[in-house]
Amino acid sequence: MAAKPGAATPTYSPKLVGSSRLPIFKDSDLDWSRPDGRGFHQCRPALLQTGAVSSASGSAYAEFGNTKVIVSVFGPRESKKAMVFSDVGRLNCNVSYTTFASPTIGQGTDHKEYSSMLHKALEGVIMMETFPKTTVDVFALVLESGGSDLSVVISCASLALADAGIMMYDLITAVSVSCIGKSLMIDPVTEEEGCEDGSFMMTCMPSRYEITQLTVTGEWTTPNINEAMQLCLDACSKLGEIMRDCLKQAASASEE
Amino acid sequence: MTTELVTPGDVIGKATEFKAGKGAYVKDTIIYASLTGTRRIVSPLPESLDQRAIVEVTGHKAHGPIPGTGSVVIARVTKVMARMAAVDILCVGSKAVRENFAGVIRQQDVRATEIDKVDMHQSFRAGDIVRAMVLSLGDARAYYLSTAKNELGVVSAESAAGETMVPISWTEMQCPLSGQTEQRKVAKVGN
Repeated sequence: MAAKPGAATPTYSPKLVGSSRLPIFKDSDLDWSRPDGRGFHQCRPALLQTGAVSSASGSAYAEFGNTKVIVSVFGPRESKKAMVFSDVGRLNCNVSYTTFASPTIGQGTDHKEYSSMLHKALEGVIMMETFPKTTVDVFALVLESGGSDLSVVISCASLALADAGIMMYDLITAVSVSCIGKSLMIDPVTEEEGCEDGSFMMTCMPSRYEITQLTVTGEWTTPNINEAMQLCLDACSKLGEIMRDCLKQAASASEE
Repeated sequence: MTTELVTPGDVIGKATEFKAGKGAYVKDTIIYASLTGTRRIVSPLPESLDQRAIVEVTGHKAHGPIPGTGSVVIARVTKVMARMAAVDILCVGSKAVRENFAGVIRQQDVRATEIDKVDMHQSFRAGDIVRAMVLSLGDARAYYLSTAKNELGVVSAESAAGETMVPISWTEMQCPLSGQTEQRKVAKVGN
């Protein structure tokens, strides 16, 4: 899967709204910069495409900088025989890495923690009652790990679900922020994640303005959390716009 | 009628003006889309009490059909046992399913009369195509189907000679090659 040549990849950066205090440092007078030369509040360019896997009911490919993810959605299909009866649908999520996803030699393995976090992020947005007794499978494959993997996986999964025609309350977008020293960096890359003091990830429904998942780890001060929250909310709604455009483009292309 | 492309979560109207139809839902008097597709406004049925126009989203790509209680399905018999027949659901309504769904027709659901005297082997044979109605979502394994109606039952079956048989009564089908009759719970097809 390569990006369409010439297609402009939209980027997005959140704006701090209603922030009463000025940022401690201005982007320009920092003595260090981000590895890829971005501003601290600037997200990586987001390339999104639907319909990447033809055999799946729905699929999406996302490329945020170096992080490349493919998500396929299967079903609704019959639940496994061993499962007990349930009159609402089930969601089965799996996140796995390719063997070549990260520079360190490793095996392409299932990521249990990410799988359950993806499940938690998605279950609130899917209308489970529309497919009783059946299961929707969401398989995410990280082709290249370049930082903020989980948030890319979650956003990409919601796009794939929308492509599959699964009824949803809203799209889901996820954005993460890293805290290094006193500065906040949105959409961190692997190097930044490696030396962060704290990480923050938010998934929200952009048009309903509701948060479905919030993960905070490490050391945070209250004002920093506030700022991170505002950054994420704004970035989420901007990412939502990009995703909507992508879906609309795919829909209008299929009609022609 | 107006059309425009919407995506899940887009606001498509106010509940005071419209009623949410397919692919839409209401929350706090606002109607949102739940599918990607085109927004359409449909006028309500003249006899309905609620005269609000219906706003719906017709998916450009809906997920495959899934059997629901009351839907009529076409299924292939895979196994006939003494008390039930196992089937694979092929179509729900007029749409083919994308994934296989298992169903069972229990002895008491084969026909409407003399339900305790039903012999499963005289009603179905593996490979038969049957039309059935979904009674319930069943258990964890299979949907419960019923053929207890005139228009439900075997619609197509092959004889021992390998020819498609012709129905001659609601319990019998005949092979056009050998003239042999076989017992089936035959569906009344057409008019």
